[in-house]
Amino acid sequence: MNREELFNIAENWFQEQQWKPFKFQKDTWKAFLQSKNGLLNAPTGSGKTYALWFPIVLNYIKKNPDYKTKHKKGLKAIWITPLRALSQEIKQSAERVTSDLGTQMTVGIRSGDTTTKERVQQKKQMPDLLITTPESLQLLIATKGYDKIFKDCSAIVVDEWHEILGTKRGVQMELALSRIKTISSELRIWGISATIGNLEQARDVLLGPESKALKNSVLIKANINKKITVKSIIPKKMETFPWRGHLGLHLLEDVIPIINNSKTTLLFTNTRSQCEIWFQKILEKHPEYAGEMAMHHGSINKETRVWVENAIRNEGLKAVVCTSSLDLGVDFAPVETVIQIGGPKGVARFLQRAGRSGHQPGKESIIHFLPTHSIELIEASALQKAVKQNTVEDRMPHLNSYDVLLQYLTTLAISNGFYPDEIYKEIKQTFCYQAISDDQWRWLLNFLVMGSQSLQSYDEYKKVEVESDGKFTVTNRGVAMRHRFQIGTIVGDVNLAVKYQKGGYIGSIEEFFISKLNKGDVFTFAGRNLEFIRIKEMTVQVKNSTKKTNKISSWMGSRLTLSAQMSELLRNELYSSSEPLENQSAEIRALAPLFVRQRRESIVPKPSEFLIETFKTRDGYHHLFYPFEGRFVHEAMGSLLGYRISLLSPITFSLAFNDYGFELLSDQLIDIQQVLDNDLFTIDFMLDDLQKSLNATEMARRRFRDVAIISGMVFTGYPKKGIKMKHLQSSSQLLFDVFRDYEPDNLLFQQAFTETFEHQLEEDRLRLSLERIATQDMVWKQCEKATPFSFPLITDRMSREKLSSEKLADRIKKMAALLMKK
Amino acid sequence: MTHPIQLQGQSFQMHFSGALFWVEKSMLLISDVHLGKISHFRKYGAAVPQNAVQQNFEAMTMAIEFFKPTKVVFLGDLFHSSLNKEWELFENWVNTITSEMILVSGNHDIISPLKYEDIHITVISELVLDSFLLTHHPEERDGFFNFSGHIHPAIKLSGLGRQSVRLPCFYKTESQMILPAFGEFTGTYTLEPCDGCEVFALLGDSVLPVPIKEVKKKRSFRKKSI
Repeated sequence: MNREELFNIAENWFQEQQWKPFKFQKDTWKAFLQSKNGLLNAPTGSGKTYALWFPIVLNYIKKNPDYKTKHKKGLKAIWITPLRALSQEIKQSAERVTSDLGTQMTVGIRSGDTTTKERVQQKKQMPDLLITTPESLQLLIATKGYDKIFKDCSAIVVDEWHEILGTKRGVQMELALSRIKTISSELRIWGISATIGNLEQARDVLLGPESKALKNSVLIKANINKKITVKSIIPKKMETFPWRGHLGLHLLEDVIPIINNSKTTLLFTNTRSQCEIWFQKILEKHPEYAGEMAMHHGSINKETRVWVENAIRNEGLKAVVCTSSLDLGVDFAPVETVIQIGGPKGVARFLQRAGRSGHQPGKESIIHFLPTHSIELIEASALQKAVKQNTVEDRMPHLNSYDVLLQYLTTLAISNGFYPDEIYKEIKQTFCYQAISDDQWRWLLNFLVMGSQSLQSYDEYKKVEVESDGKFTVTNRGVAMRHRFQIGTIVGDVNLAVKYQKGGYIGSIEEFFISKLNKGDVFTFAGRNLEFIRIKEMTVQVKNSTKKTNKISSWMGSRLTLSAQMSELLRNELYSSSEPLENQSAEIRALAPLFVRQRRESIVPKPSEFLIETFKTRDGYHHLFYPFEGRFVHEAMGSLLGYRISLLSPITFSLAFNDYGFELLSDQLIDIQQVLDNDLFTIDFMLDDLQKSLNATEMARRRFRDVAIISGMVFTGYPKKGIKMKHLQSSSQLLFDVFRDYEPDNLLFQQAFTETFEHQLEEDRLRLSLERIATQDMVWKQCEKATPFSFPLITDRMSREKLSSEKLADRIKKMAALLMKK
Repeated sequence: MTHPIQLQGQSFQMHFSGALFWVEKSMLLISDVHLGKISHFRKYGAAVPQNAVQQNFEAMTMAIEFFKPTKVVFLGDLFHSSLNKEWELFENWVNTITSEMILVSGNHDIISPLKYEDIHITVISELVLDSFLLTHHPEERDGFFNFSGHIHPAIKLSGLGRQSVRLPCFYKTESQMILPAFGEFTGTYTLEPCDGCEVFALLGDSVLPVPIKEVKKKRSFRKKSI
């Protein structure tokens, strides 16, 4: 069949649905059928799944003209999704295409939810189209004879590539693709990405820089312009609106009319605990919503989530309180309105959430922004601008992730085994390892085989062995089994299943939260009050309780930060507070009382000013700096400045950061004049000082935890076998100390530092910020008491960093162990 | 280097390594060395730096050379797991020590007592000396002062400016003293101070009595409005 005939099949199908294919869909079909690779830039709900399912099926039809009567078995295409919750939806659209076109193609899912029985069946006979996650793809590569599975695979589609790109799962994808490219001669690689700042780079990473695949590729943009309206919920009485906080419950009543005025409203919260609290509180205040409101987050059991998703589609719900669990995939036509509670910390995410509403083509998306504290109104105002200007941030890919590479090499060793020369050529083609040196490669191979760089006596290290022909394999079944459990690069706290004593799964919860509970304690989870009975084999046993409680289940979650573009918008909004009223947004105008208070003790900085505030409370001496550059830059700048000050004289700091500024808290007063006179904000020796400050803080230590787990140095335990995280936690911490003392040149130990540098401290942004600060006038305000700007920082007790140049013995002289009196 | 303490009329020296010396009996108490832990991890494919293995032996030698005790009593968890090649290193090390050795066995000590007997180490479940009871697990027994290990105690110190530090420690109550874990790569468990207890922290090169301050309850910022 020629292309025209194939296209006719597709277009007829669209006509039957009374749809018309978009240009981007047809472009994608064409490029795919021309054997091209590519990246498709299309938002959720635009029909992106049909853009790629169709050519996959058409390609099969082309090669098998008797497709209606005969079925040529074997894997034809793999669809990768970051969230296994989405696989069902993707399967449905795929099956619709395969069956409507009269093919006999089968569609299967393979993820953490797939039963062993199904897995075994799949192993015998793979479905034609397989929907899976990056981790499950790795697990496929970990099976013996995996090359036969992929031999005739004609396409791999990586959905939501923007979500995976900046993570180590992205690196896992790069590695898997590098292998399958070699095995399958006909492979096309396609990515689907929402709009991000570095789309071109996203394509490079997916296909491999300077690879043949990249040369034979296209970038297709959907260009679906959607009208998005952002409305801020402005507190009626600014005077009583809090200076800090992250819940936003003060504005609960303002949400009610919004919910009432639309068919279905999604309320996005930033954390799962916030989601639980909002759900609880709305029902408490407005019991009339009972039965019409639901909650959706990643730790609720799958059945409930699916039920909620279906109920949204069937217009059965008035409101759903959710987290990022509803960010991706799934089309919900009835959703008319979206409310974002608290700063979304990124324009791309905000746009994506806004896009959840008004799904029909041509309809406008409305998103309400609900600030959780005063200063967030500035963010609200900046978001409005960002949406107008279409400012979107970059997703930064990883480089030289030795931990993921070691995991991958072990994976290859437990399945077919590998020859280093062959694999080295493949990984050199990837973005992540394009700059790896021969020496580093040799180091990694030694590490796999000997657990060190030279053979030592009395050592019984066992992992990968080298056969006489040079093939690297794992022969020990225990090593192989432990590694299979370990595959996956998303490292989180250990999750325990929450179940009723009599049975019945409710959801999963992080061990860190449960460890704080005693028998008989009542906590709220998944909208229910539950009494904690005991932990048994990784299961939390509970029973229903009628007791009231203020313990609400919480999850650590990852911290988010403002992008460079967002930070700039934010600063500009802040500066506008000094301008005439007509130049101010409604949000900034509403903040007038806060600015008055701020000016009473201090100033609201102008573009030419850099504000420093100092004051004393019973906690100690507070020194506050406001670059307005986003959390990560502040972490870097705070560490850098703290380190430089600590060189002047022995001192210890506790550091706090947020998106607006940072605090150095100490038991001693810092002379700010001395800081300014010594030019401690200089760019000179920035890198060197930053590196040294890293050793003085604990940031790299925390990064090391993930590296140690991914590279297989710390074993996370068998699921449901009761090997707990506590053991692992301490051992990755202990491991860090042992490496620091005995093997500081270990590449994995070094990686913890490089990663902190590249992914957390954002060295480049720090440099630009310091350059900007150099042009500003330093304004040092010695205040009597805390200012509104300082308040969220000085009250942050959770996520503090330490830095010290004092001798331990000297520090301890000023300390005591605290005995809590009841 | 050391810090003296009187218990039941007897003199003791706490050493910065975590060992405790009983002066009158010339007896050195060492708890939770967890020998073989690093090798155990390596055997299971976790590449903990091998060089760290020697540290435990060096530290024990240093403490023994400092006090020159006639007896060394291990308060349990001497070996982390089943036999591995670190046992050979241990045998070699035992040959260099002239003091008599006793192991009060702990939950990790699963190596056969016969293996210990071969190298002249007596294995017992507890040791009673005068009014002192030496065990691995902390134990309350009327009329006895208990020395134990098992817990790997540490203490958290706090100061102005939200500063805090955690250090391994000797943890003493009226009738008990829990020794810190002696071994490298063993970890700690942070204990809260209690009424009438005394805590001595290990500082790397010294032992420091920790001041204990009573506080009412955690201070918290009340919600402020403008």
